[in-house]
Amino acid sequence: MYYKEWIKTRWYLLLMFLATSGFAGYCLLRLHRVALIKGMGHMWEIMLTHDVVFVDYLKFVPLVAGLLLAFVQFVPEMYHKCLKLTLHLPVSHLKVVTQMLSFGVIAILACDVLNFVILWSYLHEVMAYELWSRCLLTALPWYMAGLAAYLLASWTILEPNWRRRVFNLLVSLLVIKIYFICDAPASYNSFLPVLLVFTLALLILNWISIARFKEGKE
Amino acid sequence: MRKIADFFLYFILLILAAWQIPWVINFIRTPDTSQVYFAIYSAAADDFICNQFDENRKLQRVGTDGRVYSEAEADSLLPCFFMRQLVADGRFPDSIQGVAVTPHGVQQTNLTIRLNPRDINGNLIELYPLMESMPKRVDLEMPDDVFRITSEGIEFIAVETNQIKEQKSRMFTEALQAKGFRFPALWVSGNPSTRKNYDEGYLLLDSNHRLFNLKRCAGRPFVHEFAIPEGITLTHAFAIEPNARQFRGLATDTGNRLYVLTTDYRLVLTGVESFQPTTDRILIIGNMFDWTVAVTDDYAIHHYALDASDYHLIRRLDRTFEEAADLPGLHFTSADDKFCYPRF
Repeated sequence: MYYKEWIKTRWYLLLMFLATSGFAGYCLLRLHRVALIKGMGHMWEIMLTHDVVFVDYLKFVPLVAGLLLAFVQFVPEMYHKCLKLTLHLPVSHLKVVTQMLSFGVIAILACDVLNFVILWSYLHEVMAYELWSRCLLTALPWYMAGLAAYLLASWTILEPNWRRRVFNLLVSLLVIKIYFICDAPASYNSFLPVLLVFTLALLILNWISIARFKEGKE
Repeated sequence: MRKIADFFLYFILLILAAWQIPWVINFIRTPDTSQVYFAIYSAAADDFICNQFDENRKLQRVGTDGRVYSEAEADSLLPCFFMRQLVADGRFPDSIQGVAVTPHGVQQTNLTIRLNPRDINGNLIELYPLMESMPKRVDLEMPDDVFRITSEGIEFIAVETNQIKEQKSRMFTEALQAKGFRFPALWVSGNPSTRKNYDEGYLLLDSNHRLFNLKRCAGRPFVHEFAIPEGITLTHAFAIEPNARQFRGLATDTGNRLYVLTTDYRLVLTGVESFQPTTDRILIIGNMFDWTVAVTDDYAIHHYALDASDYHLIRRLDRTFEEAADLPGLHFTSADDKFCYPRF
């Protein structure tokens, strides 16, 4: 199953890894440029006095990456009716869809880890841990939003009924809004563990769509 | 499995409904803006002058006894507050309350202080630039390092290299320890900005709730402890650098009493009944004769008129909010803090 998903998404995954890493690198270049022109002292000063985190450009990047992965992975399945064939395999249909989704979740998490390693490798060299940890913790909810967007988009795409799809879409939009309510840096810190569990639990919503698909709801 | 998934979806719908329905209702409900709660004490009238809208929604100034003052009367009753208007009209007096005054003198001693719970309820960056308090040039400059306070001492980090300055850290740690400072600090307050007239460093509350002033004078540490009377346990201190250097800041204790930190390192209890910095907002409009302190909590705004010489209570005015409260519901943010988490 994982191999099948790999074949299907490998080019997009390459693009996703390159694009998100590129954006992370761009944020660092921007920061480096400020440091070169105005000096490292100026960079620290505006971070301390104006609460700037320099990673704002990443805000919607994981969200778009997660959404596109869901499209690449599941739209062809639905369009070519491959999912119907897959669900006829002598394996539990919930297990099949969970495996398909866990592939996507692992791919997104790997991409997130790569992005964080890129950011950390530069930031921890030039900033005190109070500052670099603030940058990374500010970006963490945005990366969780990417994961949530992937799971909610797949829930919507796998839903067989169009009216129910609209309902799923509205619920998804409101859920995604939770990750972007507060702009203050590091404001989600105390909420992050709960938000992470909630985000991963969104996977089980897909069981509803698959069960309805299996029941033949159109 | 399907039942678990259905249950989880219902849970999400419940959360979204508890969050969005009250929000939509509160959003479309027309807010009542007929009431304004600004009031300022006038020593000349020995009364609070309150802002209020008349039936034509025109702002008027009214005493607590209902007397309506004209604009010109209000200007004269609040000569320090409307100093610029009186100067422009050529009506600025030579003396106020028997004290000879000049516009410049009034401008220097006028002060406005705002403290908002949002400024302290948040994930604050615990790195602080310690400026030179006795600079050779008149302008203040940001230093090339910042400090943090750990359980062992104070650490200065060079911003260009991101390395700890061992020697400077040791010198300041020893200076603090020599004055009896117990690490770590419970509270640090300063105004790290070059846009001010002078620098008085930081106020540090040590782990024994003793209050210290830390400054950098000619590159060397300056530490002075505040004399705190027995039985007072301070919780917060706010460094304030007024133009006329009348005082060093404000502090609160476990009983939510408000103190003024004097220039000779004493605490003076004010006539403010209660101020809880983590939940209440405070606005202080002061002049050389009196302060009007407005403490706003969830239900009311409490105005206190204090004597500027010893901060005793002259007069008090409590005004309860008349607007209908927002429909309760689930919120993720609050005007009182910078945290994001679900709360009712």
